[in-house]
Amino acid sequence: MSLLDAIHNEMYRVEGIAGPADERRRLLDLGITPGEELAVVQSVPLGDPLVVMVRGMRLALRRREAGWISVQ
Amino acid sequence: MHSIEVAPKASTVEAQQVLHSPETGAHPSTVCLAGAPNAGKTALMNALTGGNFHTANYPGVTVTLSRGKTKADFGPQFLLVDLPGVHSTSAVSPEEVLSCRVIEGRHQSVIPDALIVAVDATQLERHLRFASVVARQHKPMVIALTMMDLLPRTQQSVNVRKLETAIGVPVVAVDGRTGWGAVDLMNTLRDVVSRPAAGHCSLADLPEEPVAAYELIRKLLTESESLKNANRFQLASDSITARIDHVVLHRVFGFPIFFAILVGLFSSIFWAARPFMDLIDGLFKQTANLLLAILPEGVLSRFLAEGVVGGVGAVAVFFPQIIILFFLMTLLEDSGYLARGAALVDRPMSYLGLHGRSFVPMLSGFACAIPAVLAARTIPSRRERLLTIWILPLMSCSARLPVYALLLGALLPGSAWKAGLALGAIYISSLLVGALVAGLISRLILRKRSASLLAMELPAYRTPLVKPTLRVTWSRASAYLRRAGIPILVISSCLWLLSNFGLGSHQPTTENLRVPLIASSGLEHSFAADVGRVLEPALHPMGVDWRVGVGLISAFAAREVFVSTMAIVFHVAEDPDARQNSLLENMRVATFAGSSKRIFTTSTILGLIVFFFFSLQCLSTVAVVRSETNSWRLAGLQLLFYTGIGYVMSAGLVVSLRLLGVD
Repeated sequence: MSLLDAIHNEMYRVEGIAGPADERRRLLDLGITPGEELAVVQSVPLGDPLVVMVRGMRLALRRREAGWISVQ
Repeated sequence: MHSIEVAPKASTVEAQQVLHSPETGAHPSTVCLAGAPNAGKTALMNALTGGNFHTANYPGVTVTLSRGKTKADFGPQFLLVDLPGVHSTSAVSPEEVLSCRVIEGRHQSVIPDALIVAVDATQLERHLRFASVVARQHKPMVIALTMMDLLPRTQQSVNVRKLETAIGVPVVAVDGRTGWGAVDLMNTLRDVVSRPAAGHCSLADLPEEPVAAYELIRKLLTESESLKNANRFQLASDSITARIDHVVLHRVFGFPIFFAILVGLFSSIFWAARPFMDLIDGLFKQTANLLLAILPEGVLSRFLAEGVVGGVGAVAVFFPQIIILFFLMTLLEDSGYLARGAALVDRPMSYLGLHGRSFVPMLSGFACAIPAVLAARTIPSRRERLLTIWILPLMSCSARLPVYALLLGALLPGSAWKAGLALGAIYISSLLVGALVAGLISRLILRKRSASLLAMELPAYRTPLVKPTLRVTWSRASAYLRRAGIPILVISSCLWLLSNFGLGSHQPTTENLRVPLIASSGLEHSFAADVGRVLEPALHPMGVDWRVGVGLISAFAAREVFVSTMAIVFHVAEDPDARQNSLLENMRVATFAGSSKRIFTTSTILGLIVFFFFSLQCLSTVAVVRSETNSWRLAGLQLLFYTGIGYVMSAGLVVSLRLLGVD
């Protein structure tokens, strides 16, 4: 499933990252790697971006970017 | 202390002289401070140099680097250069590209002999991965472990000795904010510099590829037991940061809090700066009068007093606003709120083709476009950065304020609250028009969306410390002074000469024969007046004469110069207290030469307001946009675009109002 469908504050495991090569690389560099656990902890008032917790970091991800991340 | 803008060679020579003290022998001149953003580098820089650092522009790339000598208390000194934070090695923003080039030894003037890598202890994996990129260069390096005080908040603990053994790089725990651990860090740095690493550096063996690298880092950390984590994933309800975020990013309260902070920021820029602005204004006026009094009467003394001191003073009055703006921005940034603000507005901003981070430059643009253009550096994608810079001149900067005050005073005499309301409307419209221009350009001209990624870290909230904040404020403000000051000095001097010298052919007297071509003359016979008269046909649709034209030309030095030029062309008494009123009075009765037709009517005043609203009458902004984008074409295009729109809108408004019967 996509990270967009994730329930808030539930832990998920990253399966893979799609998206254009440069952006994909940047997300990997930030530590969103396959097998890593993450959780959506909050969304801001307009529903975009999402706040994701990964490797001890709070990361604001646009819905477009979150959509590239598949989790289970 | 170093000179501010140093040529690369000079700085190296200077550094060598400083560092070759007899007992230390050959110490490396340059130590670079690297790290991911939010690793606490600036605080560390502050602690190691004792606050004695400067921002300096290095040639090649227009990114400022902070540099300073390490404090003498720490023993032999090093030249410390603070590199901008790097999110990832596939760098996109100019700041990141510069850092990567320095780290990889590909920069022409900053060549590190050793590196300190700031690593956030609460996010070891991610920051160690960046450190591995540095380690691969096999240069002497030390890891400065920061944010140790935040470890309990995240229920983690780090064993520094075990970590050191596991990665094969010396690690020192420091707190840049209090200076704790700085002595230790400097001693370790000297050790690694004098004795090249003997042991095996497993950090340098990590692969470049992120997935494998992260896997190996975790393995290193768990096998060595250097990181203990009670709750590895830190869910929302666990930390102070999460609790604050639940309030400031709240579905209902998020935006009201954001706007309340912005309103607070604005009111302090305008109200708190007022007394200081009056003080500076007074000081410059007194200096000018003093110069006129002590220097022998003549062209030179008038040039110095009016052109140089007066011109610089016209811009220096905005310095208190800039300082307050930078101080509050730095506070917001250090507390961690600025990133939340960017996240809040990212959605509407990206709809317009901008970036969440664009709101910081746009906000600064209401004080002055020059620091705003500089603040656009943090926007990662080039397309969004350029679009942000493109709309910044529309933001209603402080220099427009005196002009609007004068024009609104003439338009709505005796009604302060109506003028205030109109001023508010002008400010809000400038933001809306900026949004419109950005939206239109991104949709019609830049249709192909290039790569744009938010993926922005929301750092942990921390209480900002006063001293480092003041330090950073000063370094930013002085960088602004340097960037803006020189063009302003040159431009205002040139414009003074233009408005005080003419061809001298208007009154051929025996005196003028001695200086046949150029003579000191009144404004009416000056080059500026000649230009104004040449422009008169073009000014006709705007409904004004050459005198207002001279005001518009002089406003290119700085918009508020328009007011003082109007005072000169409409012959206002020198008494500064009576000035504003008498200027308004003189403007009210001013007529076109040889007729009884009034110049300043409802339509022409509205036309002038619209002209100032759009037109880019600030050559300093053009100069800064040129240097930031490295493109004369873009800066020139921007100047023509806005001044063209200003002219067309203004003339169109005057003509159509007159057709409707409004004079």
